[in-house]
Amino acid sequence: MRSWRTGVLLFSPLLLVLAGAFIVPLILLAPTSFREYQPGMGIVAGSFTLQNYVRIVADDYYREVVLRTLGLGVGVTVACLLLGYPVAYLIVRGRPGWRLPLTLLVIFPLMLNLVVRSFGWIVLLTNRGVVNNLLIDVGLIEAPLKLMFNVTGVTIGLTHIYLPFMVLMLVAALQNVPRDLEAAAATLGSSRFHVFRAVTLPLTAPGIIAGSILVFVLTISALVTPRMLGGPTYQVMATLIYDEYMQLLDWPSGSALSFALALATLLIIWISSRMTKRWAGLA
Amino acid sequence: MNDQRPTLPVTTIALLVVVFLQIPVIVVVLASFSETSYLTIPPQGLTLKWFEAVLTDSAYLGAIRNSLVLAIGATTISMVLGVAASYALFRKMLPGSEALTSLLMSPLIIPSVVIGVALLQYFTLVGLRGGFVVLLLAHVVITVPYIVRSALASLSGIDLSVEEAARCLGADGFTAFRLVTLPLIKPGLVAGALFSFVTSMENVPVTIFLAGPRQTTLPILIFTSVEMGVDPSVAAVSTLLIIATVLVLFFAERWTGFHRFV
Repeated sequence: MRSWRTGVLLFSPLLLVLAGAFIVPLILLAPTSFREYQPGMGIVAGSFTLQNYVRIVADDYYREVVLRTLGLGVGVTVACLLLGYPVAYLIVRGRPGWRLPLTLLVIFPLMLNLVVRSFGWIVLLTNRGVVNNLLIDVGLIEAPLKLMFNVTGVTIGLTHIYLPFMVLMLVAALQNVPRDLEAAAATLGSSRFHVFRAVTLPLTAPGIIAGSILVFVLTISALVTPRMLGGPTYQVMATLIYDEYMQLLDWPSGSALSFALALATLLIIWISSRMTKRWAGLA
Repeated sequence: MNDQRPTLPVTTIALLVVVFLQIPVIVVVLASFSETSYLTIPPQGLTLKWFEAVLTDSAYLGAIRNSLVLAIGATTISMVLGVAASYALFRKMLPGSEALTSLLMSPLIIPSVVIGVALLQYFTLVGLRGGFVVLLLAHVVITVPYIVRSALASLSGIDLSVEEAARCLGADGFTAFRLVTLPLIKPGLVAGALFSFVTSMENVPVTIFLAGPRQTTLPILIFTSVEMGVDPSVAAVSTLLIIATVLVLFFAERWTGFHRFV
């Protein structure tokens, strides 16, 4: 019984902080999302409406933003997977001496301030930026390409930012693939590509799924990079929430959208963890 | 064995991707030394004037100070509260350890921007918005999962009987923890503290809703000034952050073999 008291003593300070500065605030967001908002008047006290939620699927603009966010999530995830797999493969299966430097070169951007990384892409992609200047100097194009404030810039930026997560997940997965299995398949006459497709790829599937879920969830909730590279016009869910709270002061809409976003991420994580558990049960 | 080595095309693609990861960093560093306000390749002229502009600008200096105070404060609090809570979970002192662990990790799952608006509304309601303590608490919430994760991982790797031995030899619970368990989990905790520090230092989505005008942090300042247009002093302050990150990563790797904890 003494250990129980010690436990409460050790645990309760953190629990209090989390309750006061995380759980209660999140719960209190719920009533706001059912309030009516009148421009110029603010939140109508005592009102109850489902309009804020209905709007997310019914309103053309909202639907466009939601679909764009999910589309970016899929695009960035696929890009990270395609770019990340070779890197992870080189780290795990390449020369042992390359392993540490390569790993550190993958971790370094991850540790670097997100705002700095996004700023780097602005310098590269803006109208008079490095990429456009280079292309014009070489003579490939005459007028600068529009690389920012659209899907191109945001996809490049987000892919760059979440790629290290994918690589690290895939490295962990590849490390668990026994080399003997691949060697056995090769001995039995499989081509290199066939070994990869029939042995390596299926065995790293859990890592691929875990990495993809992580990148997808991070992408759809990203605020900083979409705002810096997408500007105020190319909106995603997170930037729209930001504007509704800070510029439009339409808190009811903002909170409904917040719940939709949080629910989407929780649902995806829940489904994926159930899938992984079922797989583990089968194996 | 050898024919499982990556082929030349795979190696080439992989190395190009690793270069792609470094490109924005290289470009920012070049831009910060460039005379012109827009970066050209090759850069024209070499100057330190943008660094001078940053280091004499009270807005930047204030923001750097705020960021450091906040990150160090939040990491310290998260460390003390997080390790205490993790220890209670690890020793199964409380019922429902698994659920409690998920609770501590949940700030990682909820999108930061949602945490940001929830705290904005709540602290506006109770009239505390704009206070430093509020910002500090918010940063404890977003950094503590990293501490808990590394503490639980490190604790699960140690042999409990060592601590029991210390207890048998007459040490009280806290002394046994301090002298025996703590040194054993130190490398993991250093890595966790580093993650916590970096997370606090770079946070925008929660901070931007809560920081009062005098609490602007460095990433918030960069984030808002970029909306006004590309300014080379942003490149200079970014370069300073890049140098700091390289140094931190270098020493973390030397002291704790940091890459094992990522």
